[in-house]
Amino acid sequence: MTLASPPMSATAGEPSSPAVPKRPRKRRGRIFDWMALPALVVLAAVIGYPIVKAIQLSFTNTNLLSSTGAHSVGFSNYDTLFNNDPVFWQALEHTMVYTFVSVAVAGLIGLLLALATENLGGAWRFVRTLMLAPWGVPVIVVAFLFYYMFQDRGGIVNETLVNLGLVHTPVHWLTSGNWALVAVIVANVWSITPFFLLMFTAALASVPNEVIEAARVDRAGTLGMLTRIKLPYLRTAALLGTLLMVIQNFNNFPLIYSMTKGGPVYSTTTLVIYVYQLAFSQFHLGFASAVGVIWLIILLVFAGMFIRLMRTGNA
Amino acid sequence: MTINFLNWADAETATAPGIHQMIAEFEKEHPNITVKSVPVSYSDAEHQALLQFRSGNAPDVAEMQGNYTFDLASAGALASLDSYASSSYKSNIISSELKLGQINGHLEAIPWTVAPFGLWYNKTDMSKAGLNPNNPPKTLDELLTDAAAIKAHEPNVIPIGTDTTNRTYGLDQNWPFMKTDGAQPFSGKSASADTPGMVKYLTFMQQIGKNNYTTVNQLGGKFRDPSAHNDVAFDVDGPYLEGVVLSQTKETVSQFAQNWGLTTIPVGSSGQAYSTPTDHQLVMFSNSKHKQAAWTFMEWLSTSDYAVANYTVPVEQSIPPLSKLGTQAQSLMNSNPFYSVYIKDIVPTVVLPPWGPAYTAAYTPIMTTIQQVMTTGTSPSSAAKSLQSQLQSALAGAG
Amino acid sequence: MTVAVSEVKPRERVEPAPQARRHRFRPGRIVVWLFILVGLSVALAPVYWMVATSFKTPFAASSPTPSYWPHQFSLSNYNELLVKGSVPFKTYLVNSVFTSVLAALAAVIISALAGYSFSRSTWKLRGITSVVVLATQMLPLVVFVGPLYLMLLDAHLLNSYLGLIIGYTSFAIPFGAWLMKGFFDAVPVELEEAARVDGYGRFSTLVRVVLPTVIPGLLTTGVFVFINSWNNLLYPLTLITSNSKQTLPPGLLDSFVGQFNTDWGGMMAAAVITTVPLAIAFFAVQRSMVRGMTAGALAGT
Repeated sequence: MTLASPPMSATAGEPSSPAVPKRPRKRRGRIFDWMALPALVVLAAVIGYPIVKAIQLSFTNTNLLSSTGAHSVGFSNYDTLFNNDPVFWQALEHTMVYTFVSVAVAGLIGLLLALATENLGGAWRFVRTLMLAPWGVPVIVVAFLFYYMFQDRGGIVNETLVNLGLVHTPVHWLTSGNWALVAVIVANVWSITPFFLLMFTAALASVPNEVIEAARVDRAGTLGMLTRIKLPYLRTAALLGTLLMVIQNFNNFPLIYSMTKGGPVYSTTTLVIYVYQLAFSQFHLGFASAVGVIWLIILLVFAGMFIRLMRTGNA
Repeated sequence: MTINFLNWADAETATAPGIHQMIAEFEKEHPNITVKSVPVSYSDAEHQALLQFRSGNAPDVAEMQGNYTFDLASAGALASLDSYASSSYKSNIISSELKLGQINGHLEAIPWTVAPFGLWYNKTDMSKAGLNPNNPPKTLDELLTDAAAIKAHEPNVIPIGTDTTNRTYGLDQNWPFMKTDGAQPFSGKSASADTPGMVKYLTFMQQIGKNNYTTVNQLGGKFRDPSAHNDVAFDVDGPYLEGVVLSQTKETVSQFAQNWGLTTIPVGSSGQAYSTPTDHQLVMFSNSKHKQAAWTFMEWLSTSDYAVANYTVPVEQSIPPLSKLGTQAQSLMNSNPFYSVYIKDIVPTVVLPPWGPAYTAAYTPIMTTIQQVMTTGTSPSSAAKSLQSQLQSALAGAG
Repeated sequence: MTVAVSEVKPRERVEPAPQARRHRFRPGRIVVWLFILVGLSVALAPVYWMVATSFKTPFAASSPTPSYWPHQFSLSNYNELLVKGSVPFKTYLVNSVFTSVLAALAAVIISALAGYSFSRSTWKLRGITSVVVLATQMLPLVVFVGPLYLMLLDAHLLNSYLGLIIGYTSFAIPFGAWLMKGFFDAVPVELEEAARVDGYGRFSTLVRVVLPTVIPGLLTTGVFVFINSWNNLLYPLTLITSNSKQTLPPGLLDSFVGQFNTDWGGMMAAAVITTVPLAIAFFAVQRSMVRGMTAGALAGT
């Protein structure tokens, strides 16, 4: 299959930047540039050191409740984690489901809305701006809002569903193991869809007019125009938006913590929630660090894939 | 001198003005002591106090409760109060309340508000469901039968309000229900969850969950708002229910008493009723620099006639820990029909859960097991078995 | 599959001729409009519900059968928050604004320097450093919070604004640096060379010549950091241990989901006020934000 692919760029509507700027040659040879140093120092102190510390803690039985002090326990935290902790695997699974379902659904809705609103002109563009409203709502407020709307009693979602006759008894959105994850995903999708809408809108605007006109001359139908002409231009935007959102959602703490604290049972416990509970509800800092370190490794693998993908995509 | 007082009374709308008034009055009576309130939320109180202690900026005095106190004591955060509590102080306190603060042979906390769990029953809902409003359920079986009647006649009323959240408070509230079925999921560092009593208890919880008699994973406090709307028929709660309902409905105490009754938590197969305390206690931190002033404040806040009559009773809706009340407090308590129910019926059923680091390690496996049987078809006996092994590994790692 | 890269350069944005893209009337359009309508209602309904609830009386807000609009319009929730002050809402608000703004300022300065360096300099470890910095963006905050807690404890920065600002800033720098690099890349080098000829040093070239051309970038980075800090729950929850220094997210969580009951009306009023600054910030920079995010991540490799 041959595919005419547009150049990789999601920098929609951006004024053209000159091809790679010439770099001044003077400074070559130094190891570091002082201008990057403040950033590197802060990162080393506030991120580098804690990583080392977390790894070190993960080999101890540090517990904030203990008055006797911590000692080294070798690999026993890791041993427990892999062989004797079903919650860790559940949390890993929930993290994946939460992240990928949220991003896929939000991405799809964002794409469809971008296509639907593409040709809105003049004052009608305001409609799209209104659709971006959820983006301006802070995460903690999204959590409060959906927590309130999803209440079994007095929650407007159940009230509306019952009034419309869609259900007879209120759905236990946040209090049943089957629905809680759905509820937090719905809240999350609501919150992140505008990002995709904006991203795809920008990418659509970057489809050159000549291409559209050429396709029109060739009498391409709406569907053909969409699949053959527009979608290829959206590929990079889609890839990039997905990756950015996946990273962000992997580590999303406030939404789930405020809505369900990881419950009921462990149905909405993601790894981030699990680590937090272990460290600051059980005070078991040693074991929490071990879980954190494993999560860190998984994320680094993912980060590596991300950077590779971007490099090949950009080459 | 200034003493810092960490508390959640100041973090909640219902109690903040009251505690401000107490501090102002105390400072007036003790001009050389200034009290600085450090408000924290109830759910963060333990972790904040512990983190503050670990970071060397612990308060002098703190409001604590149940397991929180025991955790802090085991972390070495609390000062022993043995040398401050005079014999006249001790003789003035209900002896079982004083025992609550005895940890490893030392007095580490003193009682402030006495508030054991009881069963509140809504007479309006019971009448509407064809139940005798003066005959509340005495056994767990009766509770289930009555809940079924409520559910059938008033589908919008929550038959049973009980806390099944994954936190120590959730386990505190379920502890009497376990005990009355002869269950005790662990003692010391050994698990004992795979027992017939535990299976019986989990079966009971499964009934409640399966029939939607309660809202699973709901904070106990969340049943108080619907209670004010007559939308909870039986609520397992401390005395705070009364305060919240009154503040919402603006009823008088006697109007409230016509609508609500209070009794002991129903009994299970052991035939014995149990309750657990939700008492708020006062503790002093070991690195306090002003221990004498701290003690003066603690003693005043929990025992002075002014504080009892203007805060403990009217604001916290609690029972003072005193064996003999001052005149002002006594007359207030006499006008509240629930006081005698607490003193005569409920306080004698109080047992202490095995609070401390083991409890902190154990509550998550236990509460998630309870949530699991309530929300899925997991059989109680296999849930008890799995809980047993979860508890074994959790207790092994307890601090 | 062979991928043929087309020659077309999608850089120049040409406004479509208004008539060119107009379609004739088709039933498809009705479906499109219905879809837009549904999308719009779903996006706005929760926001409406938040505002409507905030104007109900506390009793009506906690009703088991909520009404779709406030029958009895009441300002009592706002009055309670802003005037009576039984919840230290104003303290939280001030703390949030203060720490988020300072973190944004600090992060903008540090990120601009680093971004410029990544864009222009050719020091040896530049490639690997820039990738490492980008990778930090993906690290989970929660893993650091325990060690960070112990670290700030040793430095006596626990329960201080400075500790919180350091936490916010450090996590904003990687992405901030990438955002800024994307903006610097678009500035022609000739501009700087001219300045050099005029005798400007490297730093003053950056400050006097380059920075004025990337003001949208600085703004975007600042807003980005502001938003992330405003939304941060984890750090203040663990690193701040007194109410007087607490920020909005943990403060609101504490205040409205308390031990005694849940004050829905108050919660929604607080939600409205918390939303306003963030919404303004967002809509001020929405376009350059997406451009910057994508440009930064792409150009970075």
